[in-house]
Amino acid sequence: MTLELLKTLEGIVGPKHLLADGEVHRYTVDGVRPSMAVFPGNVDEVSAVLEACSKAGAAVVPWGGGVHMGLGGVPKKVDVVLGLGRLNQVLDYEPGDMTSTVQAGMVLSVYQAHLSRQRQFLGLDPPGATRATIGGTLAANASGPRRLRYGTARDLLIGLRVVDAAGTVTKGGAKVVKNVTGYDMNKLYVGSLGTLGVIVEATFRLYPIPACERTWVAAFSTAAKARRVVAKILDSPLVPSALELLNEAAAREVGRKLGATSEVHGVVLAVAVASVPEAVEAQIRTAQAMAGEADEHEVLEGQEHDAFWAAVRDFDPGNGSAVVLKASVLLDKAAEAMEYGERLAAQHGLHVAVISEAGTGILRFYFRADDGTDGATRLAEVVDPLRGFALQAKGSLVVLHAPVAVKKRVDVWGPPGKGFALMRGLKEQFDPYNILSPGRFVQGL
Amino acid sequence: MDRARLIQAIAGVVGPAYVVSDPAELKVYETDGLTIFKATPDVVVLPKNVAEVAEVVRLCARERIPFVPRGAGTGLSGGALALEGGVVIGLNRMNRVLEVDYANQRAVIEPGLVNIWLTNQVSPDGYYYAPDPASQTACSVGGNVAENSGGPHCLKYGVTTNHVLGLEIVLASGEIVDVGGWTPDPPGYDLTGVFVGSEGTFGIVTKIVVRLLKRPEAVKTMMLVFETIADASATVSGIIGRGIIPAAIEMMDRLSIEAVEKGTHAGYPTDAGSVLLVELDGPRAEVEALTDPVIAVGRDNRMREARVAKDDAERVLLWKGRKAAFAAMGQISPAYYVQDGVIPRTQLLKILGEIDALSQKYGLRVANVFHAGDGNLHPLILYDDRVEGEVERAEAMGAETMERCIAVGGSITGEHGVGLEKRDFMPLMYTPADLEAMMKLKRVWNPEGLLNPGKIFPTSKSCVEVGQAGKPRDIGYMPHRIEQEGKAQRF
Repeated sequence: MTLELLKTLEGIVGPKHLLADGEVHRYTVDGVRPSMAVFPGNVDEVSAVLEACSKAGAAVVPWGGGVHMGLGGVPKKVDVVLGLGRLNQVLDYEPGDMTSTVQAGMVLSVYQAHLSRQRQFLGLDPPGATRATIGGTLAANASGPRRLRYGTARDLLIGLRVVDAAGTVTKGGAKVVKNVTGYDMNKLYVGSLGTLGVIVEATFRLYPIPACERTWVAAFSTAAKARRVVAKILDSPLVPSALELLNEAAAREVGRKLGATSEVHGVVLAVAVASVPEAVEAQIRTAQAMAGEADEHEVLEGQEHDAFWAAVRDFDPGNGSAVVLKASVLLDKAAEAMEYGERLAAQHGLHVAVISEAGTGILRFYFRADDGTDGATRLAEVVDPLRGFALQAKGSLVVLHAPVAVKKRVDVWGPPGKGFALMRGLKEQFDPYNILSPGRFVQGL
Repeated sequence: MDRARLIQAIAGVVGPAYVVSDPAELKVYETDGLTIFKATPDVVVLPKNVAEVAEVVRLCARERIPFVPRGAGTGLSGGALALEGGVVIGLNRMNRVLEVDYANQRAVIEPGLVNIWLTNQVSPDGYYYAPDPASQTACSVGGNVAENSGGPHCLKYGVTTNHVLGLEIVLASGEIVDVGGWTPDPPGYDLTGVFVGSEGTFGIVTKIVVRLLKRPEAVKTMMLVFETIADASATVSGIIGRGIIPAAIEMMDRLSIEAVEKGTHAGYPTDAGSVLLVELDGPRAEVEALTDPVIAVGRDNRMREARVAKDDAERVLLWKGRKAAFAAMGQISPAYYVQDGVIPRTQLLKILGEIDALSQKYGLRVANVFHAGDGNLHPLILYDDRVEGEVERAEAMGAETMERCIAVGGSITGEHGVGLEKRDFMPLMYTPADLEAMMKLKRVWNPEGLLNPGKIFPTSKSCVEVGQAGKPRDIGYMPHRIEQEGKAQRF
């Protein structure tokens, strides 16, 4: 079967755009190595590839920049990796409409550079933007600090084109920011991790780049103090574009990356404000007035500001060796969740850096063993209790990245809730032969 | 199960006081905000809680009786009509605010709650619920969830789907499930996102978790007055082009202004060609800094006058004119037919010109009042239902307006929904494969098709035929299949 499929796929994309030799190991998913990786050059080829794989019963995993491949369960099988990198064009951009259509394989930072010439941008700032593709960002529902202001992919995606498992091309939405014609198909695919279809095109609503953005950074001796200031800010008319809380370990790591000379003590709060300059100044003054308990603070602007946020966004201690957990909790439980994560780390002899989006209740925990061992058992042991905390706080916890040894010991997604039967129904409708990323989604979907 | 036994069985669930079966009383439920279509349910039930809803649904599922959820009945696409008879489940009695949690910026409400009541309840504490359809003093949030309703302020703050985080739903089987919740990014497919805007075909919402927003520090509302629509349109583009996103930009043309002034005396200049209602909100310093630039864009485009509301009373009066626009049409026409097409903003002037030409072609006046900032048009086609053939002409013109919107890359509905009214126009926008993908979704949620049958999807290919060039032919008047079958009638 494999050889036959190989020939068919080679016929579709040409021998130059197919890997079946040793090089294919670069596309290993959680230790599962595909037989081949194929790189179609247009939507028709994507469609033909999927049709062929469908007929052959071959399991397909879509691949953008590989940045978010850590998300998801260990796949049941991977026969073909479908690389979207060659679909990398901006198809439509009308600055006056503040909308744009782009192919799924375009790299996010390249897209942003294209839009910035018109002083506009896509309001998504997930990690790894210089490698992550549009399609991968959508499939993983990846987000960053500015979701507080601009929302996530579900808020910004207004149209898309998808190829289903059988190769059928369908679209959803339109090139307008407001549209209720038919069901909202965009929502179905955002965060579905390539298990329902392969995203090939996306249309977004865009935003103007703010005239000015600055960040007020303040250190507090305890998370409790910082939490009080956060609550005041959230209950005020301030409109921060990002509001982040870094535990001491995360703050020190960011400091090192920025070449700071002194070590941070305590918890760091960063409040970004974007607007016209006079309004930025006024808001930062207001934030400062709310923070009587800060031990030290400063205002970042220009390059310093950009470098700080790049370090927060692309935070990656241990160069990919850490277990990264994303928790979503009630706003008033975020600081407590941070402290609980620190206690768990101490109990298990682990090191943890925590970055919390204090305005959305999203936290990212970066656990790692400091003693040179892989610590897989200990790392796996923190997942359940931390998830327990998140569930108590009406939230959830997902493993964003972990070594295979850890993944095999834990449930990477956690309970999908009472709606799971509907989710399974969707999977059966859209991928009846279970060839799209089998096993990578919730409960092994 | 015959009708008498059905009524009896339902009365057994909710008590006879909450069952409507008298033909005269059922008339209330024959139509919604779009009065062109009528369809009478066999019975209407008004449950008080989720258990009663579930029991009624289980009964319908068991007996294979169609059932349709209904909120306040203000919808504008015939979505709440019981096209195949059966049971209408009215959610009006489930209208409580169950929980308000400011620290977590959430409220939990029941579906029958009137939209504005939520904001009324939380505004003394400085919070509000953002989606604000023009009918917000009457429409229910459950209905907003079904239609994914917008409103003037969705330009900056988004539509219903951007503010709903979780739902309790009675599925078509009668099973009760929670989807989403209080916190963002729950694992699994985005069932909440998929459900919002499903027009009552996926389930019956019995509880809604919404986001509450903090009231902006400052709000500034201004009316910019122009001689022509072209100047007003250029001003809209100019404002957005300068990177300013107002909370709302609403446009009204001369005929709308005339109607509104007759109806509300809000102080709109009746001799103007067009007015823009622009609202800025946010931190005070930002609103102050952006006011002059907005007015300057108007001046660059031959604006005649800018009136900035000096206080809340003036602001409310300006909005009163806009929000009463649909109702005010009664001042100048016996009837109107509202359209809801959306176009890319840059196509505004082109499409308004085309609507004007269609107005000439069909011999019907059109009042334009719409959300200019996001390109959501509401041409109000004025007609006289006593004049033979005018209803049909209005509908034909509506159809052609939708086609023009799609031709420039737009959509046939921005916030009112497809419902019954626009279902046969779906093929203009979506291919059979696109529609089949939507059908797959429907099969998961509503496998037996008992839940709100006859909505969204085209029922027959005869109503809209796509010609060789892919262009729909002029459809003129053609009765809907359900009319031919005697299941609905026009009046």
